[in-house]
Amino acid sequence: METVTAPGASKVSVKITQEWIVFALAVVIFALFSLILRGFATVDNMLALVRNVSILGILSVGMALSILGRGIDLSIVATMAVSVAWMILMLGEGVAPPTAFALALAFVVLVGAANGFLVAYVEIPAVFTTLAMGGLVYGLGRFAMISVDIVNLPPGQDWLRGFGSGTLAGIPAPVIVFAVVCVVAYLFLSYAKAGRFVYALGDNPAAARISGVPVRPLIVLQYVIAALIAFCAGLVMTANVDSMNTRIVNSTLVYDVILVVVLGGIGLGGGKGGIRNVVVGTLLIGILLNGMTIMNIPFLMQNIIKGIILLAAIVADTLLNPRDEQTSQQGDI
Amino acid sequence: MNDTAMVEPALRLRGATKLYQGTAAISDIDFDVAPGEVHALVGENGAGKSTLCKVICGAATLSAGELIYEGKKRAFDSPQDALNLGIAMVYQETSLVPTMTAAQNIHLGREPMFSTHKSLNIRAQHLLQSMNFSVDPKALVSTLGTAKRQMVEITRAIYFGARLIIFDEPSASLTPEEIQHLFLLIEDLRRRGVAVIYISHALEEALSIADRITVLRDGRKVRTVRASETTRDEIVRMMVGREVARTRASERRIRDRGELVLSVDNVVSGTMVRNMTFKVFAGQVTTIAGLVGSGRTEIAKVIAGAMKRRRLRGGTIKLDNRPVRYRVPTQGVRDGIVYVTEDRKMDGFFETMSISENIYLGYLAGQRQPLLVSRKRERELARNWSDKLQIAAINRDARVIELSGGNQQKVVIAKSMVQKPKLVIFDEPTRGVDVGAIEEIHKLIGKLADEGVAVLVISSYLPEVLSVSDRILVARGGRIVEQFDASAATEEKIMFAAIH
Repeated sequence: METVTAPGASKVSVKITQEWIVFALAVVIFALFSLILRGFATVDNMLALVRNVSILGILSVGMALSILGRGIDLSIVATMAVSVAWMILMLGEGVAPPTAFALALAFVVLVGAANGFLVAYVEIPAVFTTLAMGGLVYGLGRFAMISVDIVNLPPGQDWLRGFGSGTLAGIPAPVIVFAVVCVVAYLFLSYAKAGRFVYALGDNPAAARISGVPVRPLIVLQYVIAALIAFCAGLVMTANVDSMNTRIVNSTLVYDVILVVVLGGIGLGGGKGGIRNVVVGTLLIGILLNGMTIMNIPFLMQNIIKGIILLAAIVADTLLNPRDEQTSQQGDI
Repeated sequence: MNDTAMVEPALRLRGATKLYQGTAAISDIDFDVAPGEVHALVGENGAGKSTLCKVICGAATLSAGELIYEGKKRAFDSPQDALNLGIAMVYQETSLVPTMTAAQNIHLGREPMFSTHKSLNIRAQHLLQSMNFSVDPKALVSTLGTAKRQMVEITRAIYFGARLIIFDEPSASLTPEEIQHLFLLIEDLRRRGVAVIYISHALEEALSIADRITVLRDGRKVRTVRASETTRDEIVRMMVGREVARTRASERRIRDRGELVLSVDNVVSGTMVRNMTFKVFAGQVTTIAGLVGSGRTEIAKVIAGAMKRRRLRGGTIKLDNRPVRYRVPTQGVRDGIVYVTEDRKMDGFFETMSISENIYLGYLAGQRQPLLVSRKRERELARNWSDKLQIAAINRDARVIELSGGNQQKVVIAKSMVQKPKLVIFDEPTRGVDVGAIEEIHKLIGKLADEGVAVLVISSYLPEVLSVSDRILVARGGRIVEQFDASAATEEKIMFAAIH
């Protein structure tokens, strides 16, 4: 394999990086759980693990793209839940699948573009924009579009069910979707001009702007892509469980996603990391969450553990990628 | 005034030296200021004025030499230390909290344990009145003008019991009437026995307010003179003082002007650019000399579309006789205008990227096509430009942050050159660059002009101005006040025009 790496990840593979530490940790924990946890290394559990990991991973790719460009998208879970719930609601009401799909897709693009517009042109910090947008999308969705918490997938619709239960050469469909999303995102970041620009934007927005990078359209693109990836994750989720529970918006899923991204080694300051980081982060968190569920660790305790890991990961991120004025001024006279 | 030799100085520096990573920002400076004395500090940009003040007010510590304050040898760890001993600094850009009232700002950091708004206001009112300042203590600082903010800042210094006050370019943003008022204030401080250090570019001011004037050049003290015994001409000569660079321009071939590329006509923008008018021609290096704060960087950013939220308020900019008004740099770059920044760390290069990636990014950003990255093209460009600019690095995959200042600057320049510009604006092209690289960058600037590109250089360093320019413009207070052919220019002439 040719050693082509994304700009932010150049030269890191030689050294001991967060990426490798996390990967090793994931392997160790997997081995440990297999040994001590009854019911972990079973076919059923592996299938459940792989499905959950895939959804988490797909969402994390979207989140990673926005974080790489020095943004963040806290509205992805709301976008995912509302768009897909609305789509299957329409399917249940007899709307033709292509129409329902296209409408849901349009909705998703609109949300992403609105996020991007507010961040890029109105210049509101991404955290606040997307936090508010998440609330707005969920509220509006439940108020005007979806009257129940849980929308069930109507019978038929095998094209959609295929995303969950189908297999290709023995590999479950969710994993394939995750892999495809990863590969597309990787190709985008490494080979598309816009991908390069995302790294430039994350590294130094002022320099990107002055070099002539169309920074504002780029930010809009970034949030539209994040929203599209969220839609994709929603399709897989629905296909898995034959329904969409809009209450997932109120769960800790979005924090799990941030946990994956930060833990995987994508710097919150932007411009650092790549898809490999998302994959290793997803593995570790996916295995951990699954193991904790099997061990029957209470929900609250799980949150405590995840909270501690997230804080530890952010601290590690700050130590590895310092944002201190002193260090940034090194070499100045 | 008293003979200062008779009075024990409030502050005395002996052999003061400050090294930044081996480079001396100031070296071996003797300086003193007595209570009730106004001592002006003058010098070009980079002469060491601000370093000297940082040392005095505790923002930096001496590498060698000693600082004696009120009879005791001191080494301040922080500005707070110095402030506690009565050394206060009044900054050019005021350091007040805009969302607080004048009274709150005056007390900031030294509030009594228990206080009410009323008691703070009353005390502030007393202080302000005792100095004849007409500032409402209840007014928010954000609603006050520059002059009144300065009054608040001075009052704050007095409240803190300052016995030595440093004014850093206090008059830069003041109107003539406000400057008169400022002088009365300083006069008043003098009567109270406060020692004042006054930093200014404006020599007339220094001559009229100061008792003594110290001239710095290249980090060294040239001389300290009594203001009553010197003239403006003498000070300018001391500030410039270099004999070597004098004839450089006349030995060089001066390029003739090509076609008119850029014309800036009566442009007004923000508070810094006031009626700027000049022209830039192809195949020629045009330089804007002048002091920091004369609106040079601002006009450059306005031309390139890089000025954020501060658009043109008047006037026209024409590129190839076509009026242009860019909102974002992307538009300027597409039309062939590139701006090479004065602060490469802030908006010059991408530190996580390699040399090749930085250069290639400039190429990608410069045009609509292609939409895909080509590693081959990237390597090609990096090879070409590393050779052309002699970027010395072990390999082209090295990260830019690991390079020396000179090499970083070359990468930033290469990143702009791959955009095939017809007008290049270099803002302080050799700031923080090692001597060897300076020469190479100057050669590159000349070569660009020879190739028919219109080059606009902004520089505060007079030897640089004289050695690269074909035409020299001098900016002052947001206007171009003087124009020279390079053959007719000397450092003195430029300095005279730059200083009001």
